[in-house]
Amino acid sequence: MSTPAQVMEQVETQPIHPPPTSFWRKYVFSIDHKVIARQFLWAGLLFLLVGGTLAMLIRWQWGFPYQKVPILGDVFLGANGGLIGPATYQKVFTMHGLIMIFFAVTPVLIGTFGNFLIPLMIGARDMAFPKLNMYSFWTFALSQALVVASFLVDLGTAGAGWTTYPPLATNVGTPGTGQTLVVAALFVTGVSSTMGAINYVTTVIRLRAPGMTWMRLPLTIWGLWLTAILNALFIPVLGSAALLLLLDRSFGTQFFIAGAAAVRGGGDPILYQHLFWIFGHPEVYIMILPAWGIVGDVLAFFARKPHHWYRGSVWAMVAVTVLSAMVYGHHMFMTGMSPLLGEAFMLFTLTISVPSMVVVLNWLFTIWKGSIRFTTPMLFALGTMFVFGVGGLTGLFLGDISMDLYLHDTMFVVGHFHFTMAAASFMGAMTGLYFWLPKIYGRKLDERLGKVHFWFSIVGFTVVFGGQLLVGWAGQQRRLFDPFQYTFIQGLRGLNQWTSIFAFVLFAGQFVFVWNFFKTVFGKAEAAGRNPWEVTTLEWTDTTSPPPFHNFDVIPVVVRGPHEFANPDVKRLLGRDWVGQAEKVPALEEAPAAAAKA
Amino acid sequence: MRRARPLLAAPLALAARQALAAPLPESGFGMPRDVSADGHLVDWLIHYTLVAATIIFVVVLAVMIWSFARHGRGHLAEYTHGSKASAGVLLGAIGFIAVAVDGNLFYRTLVDMNEVFWNFGALEKDPAAVRIEVNAHQWAWLARYPGPDGKFGTEDDIVTLDDIRVPVGVPVVIQLASTDVIHSLYLPNFRVKRDAVPGMVNWLTFKASEPGEYEIGCAQHCGPNHYKMRGVLTVLTPERYREWVETMSRDARRAYDPEDKEAHWAWDWRSY
Amino acid sequence: MGVASSTAAPRPPGGLLPGGRVIPFRRRGEAATAWLGMVVFLGSWAMMFAGLFFSYGLVRLRAPAWPPPDQPPLPLLLPGVNVAVVLLSEGALVLALRRLRGGKPRPAAAALVAATLLGATFLALQTAVWVSLWDAGLRPDGGPYASVFYALTVFHAIHVLVGLVALVWLAARSLAGGLGPTRLQALRLWAMYWHFVGAVWVALYLAVYVI
Repeated sequence: MSTPAQVMEQVETQPIHPPPTSFWRKYVFSIDHKVIARQFLWAGLLFLLVGGTLAMLIRWQWGFPYQKVPILGDVFLGANGGLIGPATYQKVFTMHGLIMIFFAVTPVLIGTFGNFLIPLMIGARDMAFPKLNMYSFWTFALSQALVVASFLVDLGTAGAGWTTYPPLATNVGTPGTGQTLVVAALFVTGVSSTMGAINYVTTVIRLRAPGMTWMRLPLTIWGLWLTAILNALFIPVLGSAALLLLLDRSFGTQFFIAGAAAVRGGGDPILYQHLFWIFGHPEVYIMILPAWGIVGDVLAFFARKPHHWYRGSVWAMVAVTVLSAMVYGHHMFMTGMSPLLGEAFMLFTLTISVPSMVVVLNWLFTIWKGSIRFTTPMLFALGTMFVFGVGGLTGLFLGDISMDLYLHDTMFVVGHFHFTMAAASFMGAMTGLYFWLPKIYGRKLDERLGKVHFWFSIVGFTVVFGGQLLVGWAGQQRRLFDPFQYTFIQGLRGLNQWTSIFAFVLFAGQFVFVWNFFKTVFGKAEAAGRNPWEVTTLEWTDTTSPPPFHNFDVIPVVVRGPHEFANPDVKRLLGRDWVGQAEKVPALEEAPAAAAKA
Repeated sequence: MRRARPLLAAPLALAARQALAAPLPESGFGMPRDVSADGHLVDWLIHYTLVAATIIFVVVLAVMIWSFARHGRGHLAEYTHGSKASAGVLLGAIGFIAVAVDGNLFYRTLVDMNEVFWNFGALEKDPAAVRIEVNAHQWAWLARYPGPDGKFGTEDDIVTLDDIRVPVGVPVVIQLASTDVIHSLYLPNFRVKRDAVPGMVNWLTFKASEPGEYEIGCAQHCGPNHYKMRGVLTVLTPERYREWVETMSRDARRAYDPEDKEAHWAWDWRSY
Repeated sequence: MGVASSTAAPRPPGGLLPGGRVIPFRRRGEAATAWLGMVVFLGSWAMMFAGLFFSYGLVRLRAPAWPPPDQPPLPLLLPGVNVAVVLLSEGALVLALRRLRGGKPRPAAAALVAATLLGATFLALQTAVWVSLWDAGLRPDGGPYASVFYALTVFHAIHVLVGLVALVWLAARSLAGGLGPTRLQALRLWAMYWHFVGAVWVALYLAVYVI
């Protein structure tokens, strides 16, 4: 352990790279984690718009099949008379999935919050490898460029589903440069994520401020750190799958080609599914862990009450991380695997529901008997709880082989993952944005507009994704250009149409957020102040909004956990219901140590 | 075109029949009619899970709403990081759910899969079992019956397009393959499906309990016309089925063309 | 975008605390941080190779015969020699580091050059193997056996090449004027990388050529 003098030396002299002076170094090729976070934010939000538009095209086709698409039809589908055809349709749902997962949710949830919050919340001046951080953003931008390029080539962009299963995704099934460009884009974005992961993992381990023990980290950091570990381990497996697929497409190799096109016995399409889902299942946890962390912290902050059983949530998140790769086979129950293997995967899948329930019930016990302030971030956090609850419960059906016999590849699966990945991750990201925007840009988003945005979103998500669950329950398959070719689906026309209408309303409601965001960032708005939410973590208590280049004038020394609210001693001594993580209150010195052990 | 006559006859007959009578549209919400002997096992599990999930959801939501109402700004927050008691309640609730729901699901599914849905070894030993080889391709289902001689790849094989016929009350065992990309044979009214993967032969089994016409769907994205890969499964009485087999294999024998390599896609029936 | 950039006066590298105190630029503990970053980085690459080895295993399991009867057999000698080359190169690198720590820059430079030359030898021998197999008719589009062979060996060789470029640069600097603390740190990190690449080769040799 360090002497007090050593601690003070460390506190005052934690080094920082020199501040940038030129325009290029300040705003374009910046190595400042706060600038890089904003770059990811804009890049992600832009592609969120693109992905959302693609979703509207899907809903149009199901709600109003074979009718000319309004507005966009003339612009993008002119060659086909403004109509979506089967070949275009498969590109639309493929790119909707890919863009939303890799180019919208990932940069916002992980790129933005990871970059912005990790150094600030742990009390560091920047990431461990600032230059690597910059490369990680520009690599990501390159992958986005590849996606854009794929739309512009002959034969158009990828069309084999976001899962890109071969043999459909090989030259046999989907010829053309577009699919190749998209697989390359996947590989490149994987490189970017891995670079980021190396940074996040190392930074949290090495650069925590004095006194910031593991069990005093905000849950947001736990979520982001565990996500980074999963990224570091499993994105490379996707990389290997993408690499082999690229080899099959471009060099004539036979990893995944089977059937009539096989040479000397051919490869194994199921091999791809193994590689893909060994990445793919951890990927869904990658997309939810940061949201879990953010929601955990925000619920405590606005219930003005310590997070219930903090350690339980930490261990639960760790358990989910460890188990995440062991459940991947539940995506492959129908492929013809050995029954024993299937049953093992089912067992693990049912097991992973246990730590998830710990996380959710801890949230519930946190707000219970709290003093809830219904601010916009709190509304979104509660909304995340709701949609994740629905999504998680529907997972029970799918993790079970018998029920999967019927439900696999139906819209029930789509509803399940939209509730968990789209709604919960999205609402978690919005929780974070509404909460931390004052710290990122120095101004608060408008509360009233925020609440309107919230209600559009929660009602919209519930109805639209609930509609998906309902049609899936009735047996409607995924990825059908025209579901009503099947007689047994014809009774679902009305349900599909209403779902589409609500989807358009949901989409329109997002523009309330867009308006709010632009108005706040670029318009006249009052300064938010250091700690407008009156919460305890270092980025609020120990620096300005926004923070200066070097984050902290003095590196804080942490003395307690992140959720010290409602403590009657604090009320008595300080006259408020919260005390900061690094706030020295001599009369409280015994209490924080005891509280940190709880 | 040098194609065996059954291949031509089947789509013509299909089109004619579709014009006259087709599977009845379902009413909308709710699962399609279950006309299989074992689909009720799946349905039971689904309904059990639905009830359990609904109860859990309603309880948690109720607690949340109570909290919104009673523990708002005016309420003084309780200072606790959680106690042994509250953690105990939490874990107890989860433990109960784990056993009552997860555990039950797991146990029932093990039984169902091993005794019924994936019990191919026992089922195909049944001498009355109907064996069919299904070869999926973009974008239709080719089905082959061994005919009276019981062997695949011989002159009396019946080959149909998007048209599978089975007798009621008899186990049907299908071996499933694909020539090009991954498809998935989906029988909504029987609650089963299985992937058709090129380079592999997969198994599927079901037993029909009611005569009638039902739909076959494709449940794995297989290209632009994935949505059109629809077939019809006809369940016949045993006598009608026998008549159909006799007629069709007689036609097959007459139309057999040894030079037509493409028509000879059969594989030796695999043992499980 | 609302970010305040505080001072007008030129700042010392590192920056200024209020009160004129200076924040220095070099971090303490930087070596340990860089080491950890390299460990995570190598962990990621290990998972990518794991994916490739897994693919090899699954393809091989599913193949009716391995090696397929009509494919040219893989040589054992040259790749085996390469195992020795790789191990010697790693040894030379370890020696170089030890000598640097012992304050003997010129012998260290010699060891570094040796490690680099051995690395180049590895690539040369590997190329010879490829050329001979290519001439014997083993082509990437010749089925899963060839696919797996070329994918694994080429991918590994690219990694060797990357390390070799770094070693060449470090060896050149070492010969020119010795390695300062930054470059010494870089050498330590590249040595970790080189050991990793060597370990993968041994695994590859055993899995692909021997078994």
